[in-house]
Amino acid sequence: MIEIPPIVAIVLPLFGAFLTPIIAIVSRRFDVERKVCGWFMVAIMIAMLLVVVSMGARVWGGEIIIYKLGGWDPPWGINLAIDGLAFQMALMIAGLGTLVAIYSLAYMKRDSRFDLYCTLILLITAGMMGIVLTGDLFNFYVFLEITCISSYALVAFRRNSDAVEAGIKYMIIGSLGTSILLLSITMLYGSIGSLNIADLGQKLAMAKAGAEPVPMILVVALALFVTGIMIKVAMVPFHAWLADALTAAPTAISALLAGPVAVIGIYWVARIPYLPFGMPVGVILVALGIISMVVGVLMALVQTDFKRMLAYHVISQKGYMVLGIGLGTTLGLQGGLFHLLNHSTYKCMLFMCAGAVLHRTGSQKFDELGGLSKNMPITSSVFLIGALAISGIPPLNGFASKYTIYLAGVDAGQPIITAIAVLVSALTLASFLKAFSSVFLGQRPERFKDVKEAPMQMLFPMCVMAAICIVIGLLPALGFNIAGPAQTAAMNPGNYISQVLGGT
Amino acid sequence: MVGLIWDPIIVTAVMLLGAGIAYLILITARRIAAPKPSASKLATYGCGEEVKPDETHADSKQFYSPIHRVLKPFYRYIQPAHTGILSHYLLWVVIGFIVILVAVALVLR
Repeated sequence: MIEIPPIVAIVLPLFGAFLTPIIAIVSRRFDVERKVCGWFMVAIMIAMLLVVVSMGARVWGGEIIIYKLGGWDPPWGINLAIDGLAFQMALMIAGLGTLVAIYSLAYMKRDSRFDLYCTLILLITAGMMGIVLTGDLFNFYVFLEITCISSYALVAFRRNSDAVEAGIKYMIIGSLGTSILLLSITMLYGSIGSLNIADLGQKLAMAKAGAEPVPMILVVALALFVTGIMIKVAMVPFHAWLADALTAAPTAISALLAGPVAVIGIYWVARIPYLPFGMPVGVILVALGIISMVVGVLMALVQTDFKRMLAYHVISQKGYMVLGIGLGTTLGLQGGLFHLLNHSTYKCMLFMCAGAVLHRTGSQKFDELGGLSKNMPITSSVFLIGALAISGIPPLNGFASKYTIYLAGVDAGQPIITAIAVLVSALTLASFLKAFSSVFLGQRPERFKDVKEAPMQMLFPMCVMAAICIVIGLLPALGFNIAGPAQTAAMNPGNYISQVLGGT
Repeated sequence: MVGLIWDPIIVTAVMLLGAGIAYLILITARRIAAPKPSASKLATYGCGEEVKPDETHADSKQFYSPIHRVLKPFYRYIQPAHTGILSHYLLWVVIGFIVILVAVALVLR
């Protein structure tokens, strides 16, 4: 069997992005620009997904796939390192990204400049893929900038006043986050002299062992790194950009930001306590997780806008993941990473449902909607599945991962954390009952009498995600088979270092 | 570990069985007292007046007013702090960084 180099997973969407404008110019002559650009984007996404899936057997077999760029050995050259954790993230980015691309074909039908949209989608995907696959810290920064700049443009894509304002806010806060991360990387390079994650991990461990207390420059570098990542993850109090951005962006982009883009922040939350820093920041993560869970859900309860409510739930649900990872136990980390897998799926799906309603009715305000289950039975059923999943109702996937986090709290001797997590789940259910009741139940306003079900290209990805929610809920072992190797890889930095550096 | 305590297939089967029994009760009840809908029965009334479908929507802001009242301090201070003003949000980032820096220093040194 031919082995596909992992770099192809990054190069495919990157070159696809550069090719899209050329394809658009050519296909414009035959008046098939929209179709050709859209399906080219989907084809690239599917090819990328296949490349990622092809790495699965080796990674789940315990191997870390190392790809040396230009044949240079690490730490001298840049390398890609795909362990269980990176693989879970890459799989989610490629899988959910593909579904968002298919959804966009119908959702963005009324928008002009579709070739630009496809270019940005491919560019953001290349950036995300690079972030999770790279083994080099500066390379991570470069890919992060590619992801962020593409996402700022996508949030402001429709160029109305709300979108532009949200885009500018996101850009300024996001740029502050990336600058903070760059400063941290600079400090690490200045004090340790390496940018390779494995090499940094090894040298930092030696530096800490030889110096007690930990040097101040490393304390500041770690604090900056945690802050930068928390801005990306949108933990309270760094969360303010998220609600505006997800509300104002085209809903396909909201789904992308809530699903695949959320992955990259949590990937680094799972890495930080072990690599490259290897310092105990669990208590900080637990505190941020709990605050975000509570603030997110209480803010969501009082929202009157469909997408803004979902955006606050993104903050709340990410709190669960950060909390689970912060507990630092096997169960906690597994629960956090499993919840990431589940949350990205159903949150992407819930945003797609909101998009379907917006697409057909032109409104995302609860007070203007109602009774749409008669007109949009598939959308309402899918939304109900997502609402029950996010609320942790059995037998859906959200229950399996939340239950693991509840157990992790008790297992860590912190039953109060479990109690808060259960209470937040109850409030989440309350919030989604309100949303379901306001949008799909009750009396239907006269003007929505002729509203039709969403187009097939929008329903297909929604139904696929709903099926994933049910299947993983009924067979949670499938989810644990992905999150388990990811947790093992994250908690075993020694193996990562030795395999990347090859015993140097 | 979850599998030891939680078997989703069995639980789902039990839930479906429960739903089936509930549906049977509903069907039986409908046979005993068959619904006879008419336009006047299906219409919504408020103070003796017929209310149009567009006017019957529950106010989404007041939907959970009891929770709003119970958690008054949160909704009095935290919710209004989400002003939408960029400089406020940047200040939150700075304060957040200082708190994390102090926390990291306390944990590590």
